[in-house]
Amino acid sequence: MDLTPLTSQPLGDWEFVWRQRQFFVEGTRIAVELTFYSILLGFILGLPAGVVEAYGGKYSRGVVRPVGVAIRGTPILVIIAITYFAFGVSPAFLAATLALGVRSAAYQSQIFRGAIESVEGGQMEAARAVGLSKVGAIRHVILPQALRRSVPGFQNEFTIVLKDTSIAYAIGVTELLKRSYDLFSLQTSAALEVFLAASLIYFVLTFSVNRGIEALNDRVAIPGGNY
Amino acid sequence: MTDELLDVDDVHQSYGEEKVLEGISFEMDSQDVKVLVGPSGSGKSTMLRCINRLTDIDDGDIRLDGESIYAMDENDLRRQVGMVFQDFNLFAHLSALENVTLGLKRVRGMGEKAAVEKAAWQLEAVGLREQANSYPAELSGGQQQRVGIARALAMDPKLMLFDEPTSALDPELIGEVLEVMRELAEEGMTMLVVTHEMGFARQAATDVLFLEDGKLVEQGPPNQLFENPERDRTRDFLGRLTSLHGSQ
Repeated sequence: MDLTPLTSQPLGDWEFVWRQRQFFVEGTRIAVELTFYSILLGFILGLPAGVVEAYGGKYSRGVVRPVGVAIRGTPILVIIAITYFAFGVSPAFLAATLALGVRSAAYQSQIFRGAIESVEGGQMEAARAVGLSKVGAIRHVILPQALRRSVPGFQNEFTIVLKDTSIAYAIGVTELLKRSYDLFSLQTSAALEVFLAASLIYFVLTFSVNRGIEALNDRVAIPGGNY
Repeated sequence: MTDELLDVDDVHQSYGEEKVLEGISFEMDSQDVKVLVGPSGSGKSTMLRCINRLTDIDDGDIRLDGESIYAMDENDLRRQVGMVFQDFNLFAHLSALENVTLGLKRVRGMGEKAAVEKAAWQLEAVGLREQANSYPAELSGGQQQRVGIARALAMDPKLMLFDEPTSALDPELIGEVLEVMRELAEEGMTMLVVTHEMGFARQAATDVLFLEDGKLVEQGPPNQLFENPERDRTRDFLGRLTSLHGSQ
């Protein structure tokens, strides 16, 4: 996007933000994509990790648990830097997605583990008593209930991942925060307006997603039940 | 080899240091209805759970149709032995009908249509045709337990295990569950029942087995055990149970 014409004439700060709306929209799109792919990757890795933590044997658990602890104990900026600079994952968008996704997996695994462990022990017993294998019982009886119970946990997870996409700024991904920073450098007087606009966008996104998750929670609720 | 349907042979079981079953032996022929009674902690529920391998034994053997259940695939065994739980344990996310069809589809490999037909018939047999599409949380305890019975029966088991099927129910709901069990006994189902319902034992049982401290101390037809028990302890216990739970 060509910014030069805008710098040639002095503009009101809100007007400046408004004129750059397309620039914000593009950054928002990148933030949303980062969030989507990171949560998706987190789900793909985090669900099996949660199942292993809840039902795994000594060895599988012995691997999954420490890895989760290590990832959760590492700042996201460090994970992103390692992915991009040390492992050389490129382009930056891919590196950011991997880093955010793996970190999200480490947290999602705990959402799933907690939800699985909250399903009453009698459910597994009854499933086994009918003749289902352990895997069959997990798939047809435990997970359908545990996944419903994990929905509220995603309100936090979405909010955290969405806001943390801003850290992709550190490796040059032109998401919302990076773009706000660029705009602020063009018109330093508009610092408040630019960053307020960015926060407003983050807020609208998190708010809508949270509302969406609440609606999803109602939709999947078991009739007559608490979950 | 024996011709009994079930042969429980000198079964020992313990949880860590605590011995739960100490050499239990009994046999069941096809169509027998045996009621296990005894004080709490005597090992009744553990005995049931050993028979479908929800609990492992330390020593002894259990044979179904002459074959050791430990030589069988455990899922294969469980297909042949139905279990009804004290707390119902219905699959909370599935309707009454789906609770019954799950095993038919996923364990017996039946198609959707055949499974639904069989499940609907089975629910009707326990008087729950109207509730087929209700979820467990929408049903009363008595209805839930009848779904639990239908779920087990649909697998066409050779033997049904009942683990205190009415203990979690409000008194006014016990009758409907016992009624279903009585009908089942009359139809010739082989049943092993842990219960305190002495009325049911008197009416439906071929034998009553009295367990105490992990040992089978006395067994016999209900009349004999209720009227002429060999041991005073048995008389005391059954007498107390009858005054508490004998009305049904």
